[in-house]
Amino acid sequence: MTAHPAISTTAPDAGAAQDRPAHIGHPHRRQNALRHLAGRGNFVSDMQLPRMVHAAFLRSPMARARIATLDVEAARSAPGVVAVFTAADLNPLCANWTSNLDHFSGMVSTPQNILAEDETLWAGHPVAMVLARSRAEAEDALEYIELELDELPPVCGVEAALDPGTAPAAPGLSSNLCYRNELRTEGVEAAFASAALVVQADYAFGRHTAVTLEPRAIVADFDPASGQLTVHHGTQTPFQFQDIYARHFGLPDHKVRVVSPDVGGSFGMKLHLYNEEMAAVAATLRLHRPVRFVADRLESFQTDIHAREHHVKARMALDADGMILAMDVDDHAPIGAFSAYPRTSVVEGNQAFRLMGAPYRMREYRGRLNVLFQNKVQTSQYRAVGHPIACAVTETLLDQAAARLEIDPWDIRARNVIPDDAYPCASATGYRFEKLSHQRSLEKLRELMGYDALRTEQAALRGRGVYRGIGLATFVEITNPGAAFYGVGGARISAQDGAVVRLTPGGEVHCAISVTEQGQGTETMIAQVVADQLGVSPDQVKVTTGDTDATPSGGATWACRGAGIGGETALLAGRDLARQILTIAGAVLQADPATLALRRGEVVDAATGAARLPLAEIGRIATYRPDTLPAGVDNSLTVARHFAPSGYPFGFTNGIQAAWVEVDPETGLVRLLKHWVVEDCGRIINPLLVDEQIRGGVVQGLGPALFEECLYDDDGQLLNGSLADYLVPMACEMPDIVIGHVETPTEDTILGAKGVGEAGTAAAGAAVMNAVNDALSPLGARLTQTPMTPARILAALGIGQD
Amino acid sequence: MELTGTHALNQPPEVVWAALFDPEVLRDAIPGCEQLDQTGDNAFAATVKVKIGPVSARFKGEVELSEMVPPHSCLLSGKGSGGLAGFAKGSARVELVAQDGGTVLSYVADAALGGKLASLGSRLIQSTANKLANEFFTSFSQTLNGEAEPQPPQEPQQQIA
Repeated sequence: MTAHPAISTTAPDAGAAQDRPAHIGHPHRRQNALRHLAGRGNFVSDMQLPRMVHAAFLRSPMARARIATLDVEAARSAPGVVAVFTAADLNPLCANWTSNLDHFSGMVSTPQNILAEDETLWAGHPVAMVLARSRAEAEDALEYIELELDELPPVCGVEAALDPGTAPAAPGLSSNLCYRNELRTEGVEAAFASAALVVQADYAFGRHTAVTLEPRAIVADFDPASGQLTVHHGTQTPFQFQDIYARHFGLPDHKVRVVSPDVGGSFGMKLHLYNEEMAAVAATLRLHRPVRFVADRLESFQTDIHAREHHVKARMALDADGMILAMDVDDHAPIGAFSAYPRTSVVEGNQAFRLMGAPYRMREYRGRLNVLFQNKVQTSQYRAVGHPIACAVTETLLDQAAARLEIDPWDIRARNVIPDDAYPCASATGYRFEKLSHQRSLEKLRELMGYDALRTEQAALRGRGVYRGIGLATFVEITNPGAAFYGVGGARISAQDGAVVRLTPGGEVHCAISVTEQGQGTETMIAQVVADQLGVSPDQVKVTTGDTDATPSGGATWACRGAGIGGETALLAGRDLARQILTIAGAVLQADPATLALRRGEVVDAATGAARLPLAEIGRIATYRPDTLPAGVDNSLTVARHFAPSGYPFGFTNGIQAAWVEVDPETGLVRLLKHWVVEDCGRIINPLLVDEQIRGGVVQGLGPALFEECLYDDDGQLLNGSLADYLVPMACEMPDIVIGHVETPTEDTILGAKGVGEAGTAAAGAAVMNAVNDALSPLGARLTQTPMTPARILAALGIGQD
Repeated sequence: MELTGTHALNQPPEVVWAALFDPEVLRDAIPGCEQLDQTGDNAFAATVKVKIGPVSARFKGEVELSEMVPPHSCLLSGKGSGGLAGFAKGSARVELVAQDGGTVLSYVADAALGGKLASLGSRLIQSTANKLANEFFTSFSQTLNGEAEPQPPQEPQQQIA
C-alpha cells in the first residue's frame, strides 16, 4: 500500500494539531456498502408505487422498414391492459430532440421522437407502447398488435455508409456522413518524408455495450393536482434529465423532480436520452398514474447505447533513435441512424483522434475523423470515451517500431514521453497539459512489475514452448472537464456543481451535493472532504445526492468529475461553514474567531488544542436560543457554494499499464497472468476507492479487448442479445491487478484532485494487445482487431477455422 | 444462413412431386403446422408453431413456388412473421432425381431471421433448422409410403429410407 502523507487540504483555520487525523487520503470504506450488503438497497427497479402501471414496447424486428400497418385495437382489450399508445398518441406531447453541438462544425443528425412514426431505424426501435397492471400482461398484449413492415435496405458497416449509392440510414439525411474533421500540423508530410522508419496498421475495434448489473429503470409519476412530475430514474445525471423533461414536455423545471437513488452501474450508458424513458414520462402525463419501465436484458442489448466501433488506418513516423516524429490517423466511426442526445455520438471519435500520441513528444500529426450513420442501435459515450482506441493505436504502433528498431518497449517509451519537467505544454493535437508525470510513472512501473526479471522469465519459457508476452501502454486521461466540453456547444449540460452543507441542531453535518453515486463511493469521498474542513469524522457527515429537489443543481458524475469538481465544491462549502461556525463560537466564547479551530467535533483553542465548545452546543444555541447571541450575529448554520473549473479546459491525468499474458498457440486462448497500473490522479482523497475504481476500469477495458462484442449480420440484426452469447469478463478470468500511484495535484484547485474512474479502461486493452502480440511475435502473428478471440488469434497464426 | 440436405425417398419423382404440392400431405408433414391452405396455383399460406431456443413463435407466412420443372426442380420462396418473436424469410431450391425406382430429393436453402429470433436464437438456428427439416422428411416419407398415422418425430440423425 502506498503511503499517503499528511496534506494541507484542511482549512487553515481548522488547525493542524497532531491529534487530528486528516481524512483526505485515508482508505475509508464505502459508506453505502453495508446498506447494500444488508439488502437495504434502494433501486428504481425495485420501486413500487400505488396505481403503478408497467410498460412494454412493440419493437421493429427489422433494421430499416416503413410501417405499412399498425393496428393496436385488439391489444386494448387484452387482460390487464390500461392503455396502448402509438406515435400519434405520445409524440405530440414531446418536442423533437436533435443531437448537435455547435463546436462540431458541420455535424448533422435528424430529429427524433418517442415512437417510430413512418420508418423504423434499427432492429429494436419502439413502435408501440402497452401499459398494463403487470409487465407480463403488457408483454402478452403486444401479441395482439398488428404490425406490418415493408423492409427497406439497411445501412450496415463503413463501406456501405461511404458508398454514395447507399440510401441514407434515416429520412431527412442527404448522406451517411454525420461529422467529418481533420487535424493537421504544418510539418506532417516532411516528418514522414524524413523518417528512418514508418510503421502502419489497420485496426478494427468492435462494438460493445455496458451490461450494467441493474438495467435502465424509470418510474415516472405525474400529479395533475400539483402539476408536479416526479421521475425516479436510474441515471448518473438527474439535473440533465430534469432539464430535458421540462423542456421537451413543456413543464417549468421546478415542477420536474428527478430522483436517482441507488443505481446499479451506469458507466456513461445511463446519461443518454432513450425513447423508452421519454415514453414513460409521456405516458404518465396522459394517464396520471405512475409508469414503470425496466429494460429486460434483451432490451438492454437492443436499446442501450453501444460503444466504440472504430475502423482505423494509422501510420507512425520515427527517427533512427526511435523518437516519434509524427502520426497519421484515419478513423471511421460508424454510429447509429442518428446521433445520441444530448451529448452526441461524435465525442467518442473526437476524443479518439485527438488523444493519439498524447503521452509523447510527438510534434506533427494528421488525423481524419469520419463519423458515419448506419442502421444499428445508437452508439455514444461509455467509460473512457475514445481513450482505448487512441491508446491501442499509439501503443501498438510504438511496439511495432520498437521491434523493428530493436529497442526495448520500456526504453522507447522512456525516450518519447514528455519529460516531467517540460510542463505546461500542449500535444500536437492541441490538448493543453498542466503537469503530468510520465517519467516517474514509468520508473515506478518498472520497479513494481520487476520488468527485467519478467523479461528473463519470458525468454526462458519461450525456450520451452511457452508463449508469454509483456505489454506496456502509456496513457493520458481527460478528467475534470470545464464548460469547453459541452456548454460551449450549446448543450444544457452543467460544468459546475453545487453543495449545501449545514450543521444540524445536534451538532452533526449534512451535505447535499449535485455529484452523484453509482457505486463508486462518491458519497464517502465527499464526506471525507467535508469532514476535514469541519474537524469531524466522515461518519458524522451525511451526504445526500441524486435528487434535484434536495441538492443544488450541477453536472453530476461523468467524465471523471466527481472528485475533482464535486470534491472542490464540497471543500469550499465546508470551509464557508467552518468560518460561520467559528464566527458564532467567537460570539459565544467572546473570543477572536481567528484563535479558534474545529477539531474532534469541537471548537478548540487553535494554539493549544484545548476544548472550548462542542459542535452540538453551537447547533443548540443557533437553533433554539438564537436570542442569546449578540445582536448582529448571523445564526445561519447552512451554507451553499457552487464551483466551476476555471483553469485548464480539462484536468488531464496520466499513467501506464502493463499486462503479462500467456497465449496458447494451439487453442488461441489467452490467459491473463497479471496486470499492473501506475496512475497519477493528483490528490488521492480515498486510496481504497481509487484503487477499486482503477481495478474495475481495467476489467472494463479487458472485456472488449478479449471477450465483448455486439455481433450483427448483414441485415443489421443483432446476433448475440443475451448473456449466453455475449461474453463479459468473469472473475475467474481476471488477473491480479497491482496498483501504484504518483501524486501530482492540480494547482487549479485547493483540493488538487483529478479524476480516476476511466484510467483503468483507457489503457488496459492496449496493454493486453501489446502483450498478446509480444507473446505471438516468435510465431510471426499480430492482431489489430478487438476482441482478440481465440478464433482471431488462430486466424492470425494462419490456422484456418471452419 | 445456408441449409442443405439430401433425402432418399422410395417413391418415383412423379409421386414425390405431386405430394410436394398437396396441402394435405404438407400439413401433416410440416412440424408444428397448424394451418395450411392453397391460396393460388403455386401459393400456400400457413401457420406454423416453432420453438428456437428460448423463443416460441407462431409464424404466419406465405410460400410461393416458381421456376417449376416437373418433376425435377422448383424454387420455393417465402416469408413469415412470428409476431413478437421476429420474422423469417428465405428460399430453397429443391431437386428430385430418380434413383433405383425411388427419388433422391436435395435442397439448398438460404434463410434469414430477424428480431428476437435473431438476437436470442442465432446460435441455435442451424441445429433447429436441421432438426425440423429431418422431422419434415421423416413424416413426408411416411405419408408417401401410405402409413396412415403421422409418426412422432424421429431422431434427427436417422437416415430416411
